[in-house]
Amino acid sequence: MAINFRPFVFPAVLLGALEWWARTTGKGSDALAPPSAAVRAFGGALADGSLLAATGFTLGSAALGLLIGALGGLGLGTLLGLSRRAARLASLSVEVARPVPSVALIPLAMLVFGFGLRMEISVVAFACLWPMLVLTQAAVLQVEPRLLEVAHALQLSPLARFTKIVGPAIVPRLFVALRLCVAIALVVAVTVEIAANPHGMGYALIIAQQSLDPALMLAWLAWIGGVGFAINAAALALQRYVARRMGAEGAA
Amino acid sequence: MTESVLDFDRVAIHLGGREILSPTSLSVRRGEFVCVIGPSGCGKTTLLRAAAGFVAPSAGRVSRHGQPINGPTREVAFVFQDYGRALLPWRTVEANVSLALEAAKVSPADRPARIARVLATVGLGAHAHKFPAQLSGGMQQRVQIARCLAQEPELMLMDEPFGALDAMTRESLQDELARLVREQGLTVVFVTHDLEEALYLGDRVIALRANPTSDKPSLAALIDVPLPLPRDQLSTKEHPEFLRLRRALYQYLGHT
Repeated sequence: MAINFRPFVFPAVLLGALEWWARTTGKGSDALAPPSAAVRAFGGALADGSLLAATGFTLGSAALGLLIGALGGLGLGTLLGLSRRAARLASLSVEVARPVPSVALIPLAMLVFGFGLRMEISVVAFACLWPMLVLTQAAVLQVEPRLLEVAHALQLSPLARFTKIVGPAIVPRLFVALRLCVAIALVVAVTVEIAANPHGMGYALIIAQQSLDPALMLAWLAWIGGVGFAINAAALALQRYVARRMGAEGAA
Repeated sequence: MTESVLDFDRVAIHLGGREILSPTSLSVRRGEFVCVIGPSGCGKTTLLRAAAGFVAPSAGRVSRHGQPINGPTREVAFVFQDYGRALLPWRTVEANVSLALEAAKVSPADRPARIARVLATVGLGAHAHKFPAQLSGGMQQRVQIARCLAQEPELMLMDEPFGALDAMTRESLQDELARLVREQGLTVVFVTHDLEEALYLGDRVIALRANPTSDKPSLAALIDVPLPLPRDQLSTKEHPEFLRLRRALYQYLGHT
């Protein structure tokens, strides 16, 4: 199979230009380092284990926060989708709490949990809860009404109606929501580390910047970007796989 | 006289403040194939939904075996026009049919044989493991009919089941349905807007008119179809009686 090199031309030119600039005009800059130095710094971080430890911390707390937030959003969203009454009662609370920027909760989370894993998880979970809740609720409300009539005609019990009709019907949309939340979880986790939590990739990035080490800073930046890209690609592949498995051929 | 399976006693239905169906009385006897025709908006689908228990009449009484109905029951199967939406896209053909058996709490051990039997009846035996999206419209509608047959219903209500199909597929499904009804002694109420379809399939045809008034009630005509059985697409549709009834119905619907 021939690899298409054309998409790589522009980034390669950009990196080459940066390398040339950093070695000539920009020599000794505190802001930018030549990519070759960033690669060396990356090798150093990989060798002393700090790279894997920080990556593990960030991904671990993002995953746990995502898990908690997504499960909460899934449960609440299903409830609000199924019960019109619950939706009416909750609408004000949801509309007030949802627009609160998740990072604005960092001071509160720090007071409650101190530095560390739990504080970061709580902020990530808050950030993931709302999109999951809103999208789950919408998915439940958008279940094909004809299928609910089929359930009615067959006199399915409320439990069977949920497990056999509503549940499977919302799964493809839930995976769309999950993919969005994966991206949010990573962004929020890194932001929390840059702003407050002295752990993980975000903290390593800000420390490299503060110790005037642009090569290491660029190395972390590129690594965070690469990790984000890989995780989003994996989530997208999972979403497409689920959509195919749920018989969406021809329909989506 | 044969036992009646469904009775409408002066049933009127209002939806959104408008009278959709003016007081109408009719009864469907066991083993009978009754077609309901009329222009769009004449309330034929509403009448069928009332028979299924999906909508409650605003006045009068819908009853089965003398008992007023209050909601759907598995004794009555409903075939929707939009087969594409009435099937579970994430289930295979056999799993879609299985839904009716799961609802009736048929034990898992007994399901495969019953599913295989109804799929064979509608000619889908070879497609049991396919998903609805892999089938043509006509085959999807057969899946829905198979699911309803699996209910082993006493009464089958069909809401323009072949309305969205092309002419060739529609005719072959008409013939298949006629054969099924004959073989299994089904009782069917079949809503359509196609005059020829109604006469070709029905033992009786009920013609409804839109916008009923006090001197022109919903029920425009109730016609017996004394055409010989079994019927076939060519000779039945050239039968003098068929042509006469077609003309009569056309006049009822178009100019009354």
